[in-house]
Amino acid sequence: MDKLIKMAWRNIWRNKRRTLITIASIFFAVFFAVIMRAFQLGTYEHMIHQAIESFTGYIQIQDKEFFDDPSLDNSFKYGGELANIVENNKEIKVAVPRVASFSLASTGMQSKGVLVTGIDPLREKELSNPEIRIVKYRLTIEAIEKIMAETKLPKKQLELLKIHEKGSFSSWAGLALGLSLSGSLEDELKPIITKHTKFEGQYLKVDDDGVLVSDRLSKYLMAEVGDTITLLGLGYHGVTAAGIFPVRGIVKIPSPDLDNKLVYMTLSKSQQFFDLGNRITSLNINLYDPDEMMEVQSELLASINSDKYTVKNWEEFNPTMKQQIEGDSVGGVIFIGILYFIVLFGIFGTVLMMVAERKREFGVMVAIGMKKAKLVVILFIEMIFLGFIGMATGLGAAAPLIVLGNKNPIRMTGEMAKMYEDMGFDPVMPLAWFDNYFVWQGVIIMIMVILACIFPLEGVRKMKVMNALKA
Amino acid sequence: MKVIEIENLNKIYKESEIEVHAVNGVTLDFEEGEFAAIVGPSGSGKTTLLNMIGGLDDPTSGEVIVGGSSMSKLKGAELTDFRLHNIGFVFQSYNLIPVLTAKENTEFVMRLQGLSAKVCETRSEELLNIVGLGERMNARPNKLSGGQQQRVAVARALASKPKFVLADEPTANLDSKSTETLLEIMEKLNREENITFIFSTHDARVVKKARRVITLEDGKILSDVTKNGGE
Ligand SMILES: Nc1ncnc2c1ncn2[C@@H]1O[C@H](COP(=O)(O)OP(=O)(O)OP(=O)(O)O)[C@@H](O)[C@H]1O
Ligand SMILES: [Mg+2]
Repeated sequence: MDKLIKMAWRNIWRNKRRTLITIASIFFAVFFAVIMRAFQLGTYEHMIHQAIESFTGYIQIQDKEFFDDPSLDNSFKYGGELANIVENNKEIKVAVPRVASFSLASTGMQSKGVLVTGIDPLREKELSNPEIRIVKYRLTIEAIEKIMAETKLPKKQLELLKIHEKGSFSSWAGLALGLSLSGSLEDELKPIITKHTKFEGQYLKVDDDGVLVSDRLSKYLMAEVGDTITLLGLGYHGVTAAGIFPVRGIVKIPSPDLDNKLVYMTLSKSQQFFDLGNRITSLNINLYDPDEMMEVQSELLASINSDKYTVKNWEEFNPTMKQQIEGDSVGGVIFIGILYFIVLFGIFGTVLMMVAERKREFGVMVAIGMKKAKLVVILFIEMIFLGFIGMATGLGAAAPLIVLGNKNPIRMTGEMAKMYEDMGFDPVMPLAWFDNYFVWQGVIIMIMVILACIFPLEGVRKMKVMNALKA
Repeated sequence: MKVIEIENLNKIYKESEIEVHAVNGVTLDFEEGEFAAIVGPSGSGKTTLLNMIGGLDDPTSGEVIVGGSSMSKLKGAELTDFRLHNIGFVFQSYNLIPVLTAKENTEFVMRLQGLSAKVCETRSEELLNIVGLGERMNARPNKLSGGQQQRVAVARALASKPKFVLADEPTANLDSKSTETLLEIMEKLNREENITFIFSTHDARVVKKARRVITLEDGKILSDVTKNGGE
């Protein structure tokens, strides 16, 4: 066997150029397929993380009727047996009670439909954690003018200031990154920029009677910290819910859609506002391992009182996102499929030529006593070599990019970023960390190599010695 | 002892309407230790006959019996195996496997026979020394001259310890010096090791060395002459 492998290895280097071209085509196919897939899956993961893990949770327990009719009348009391079941499930990282209902928000100048969300300020830190999203700096037009008047900025930072005009930041690190500040430049500019962009704002206290307004919404309503907003809605059993609330802080929500409509208040305040007593509309659950979602869902479904409650996973309560991801994913898979198909024909051509130009040699080998089956094995090993080298180098070249692109996701700027945000995506493109998809690209290319071998090698198996000797 | 018995062997090629009787009712025997040349004009059927003797081509009718067993019963892998263990081949050109060195080419058939690495190595070195290529054992075919390549081919043909060696115009592509060397080696092996050689040729000097000369014409044996006591 080692002799056959040795022969195969020497054979592939007989035509160096063709071997290199074949390897290169496999290399590029694998490389691009992996990188493309990593971008896709990374973006989905990011979307899911932003929308699901950082807001809705993977699973929600609701009143049975709430899913089809999300009215406050279909709310429920949380506690007792249900709480027991949830708290005893080892896969559940956190379960937060929420009240969510639409209302009309108004400041003197603007009004807009908003999603009033009642949260437990302490427990919510483990799910959407609005505290770290409180806006601390804002690059208002006036702030930018003042900064420019006070100091002379390098060209790059000037451009970035323009791009981030009206942008909000929840930390200095985020702002420094956005303006590409570091080292001595950062030290020099920090006091000046801070002075003009610093933004007051506080997270909700446990017994707070104020609200947090999402960033885009606050800009639309022209609501600042310290202002008040009027909320008008429909409460439990059709009572009118109305109230005036001071704005405690602005939160920057990474999902642009939510960022346009979210108003947070404490759970108790929302229950009071909507006249809900101690009822909630959903229990939002985060998991230790998202892959266990289906498992946990069915466990919960099996143990809760299904006459009263239902358990939905994010794919059910956010079907739009699921469809978006699936549609996009199919597009990517088709593209990769076409890429592989082209490569399949390239490999096929290589095998055909390899076999055709060595016909006489095969004839001699079989004449002097080598079985055709062995010959086929040598040829097959040659192709596996080519496939493997192309695959290994392709994966090898993609791997460092994946590490890099996963740890430092590409953050889009300018026009591109705007386009993404308009479509409702966070303009970030991380590469997915190594997972099945990575291995699969390798497996698929090897399958392609094997497929490409079938027909030509079958020809060798059927070859007539006499004809081969005459070639 | 008879190594090969050929009985009423025929090969008819049909090309559209025309039938070519390439080998026409040949009956022949070869004894162990023969040094026989098959001669005749181009198209007389030499290659066709040798290929059928070597089990590379199927006769239209008739039989080739090697060492007592008929080859016509064998098919596919069995026939390949039969060739491996009984017949040595030297072709006109491009005999050798390009990616293997002279030594590896010689070892190749022994490896196929399943002999141990040690045995293969010793025997291939010995054979290459006999054909005068002891110094060039690790050269690949493209680094060897045409004559040297043919000598490696002879060494390889002998490596499997076959019952006989078939060579179809082994010297056709060689100059007269190389032809002479190759012939000397074959003769010596025949004389000293009692190896049976059957070869076809156009070359009068090669014919002169043969102890038996079979002349074909239009697929039939025209004459079959055995010289007494060699030259
Ligand atoms: N595959 C084939 N199909 C049809 N006819 C063939 C085939 N092979 C050989 N022939 C014919 O059979 C006859 C004998 O051919 P063969 O090759 O045996 O002659 P040869 O004596 O070896 O000639 P040369 O000295 O030129 O090598 C020729 O008439 C040739 O045209
Ligand atoms: Mg011929």
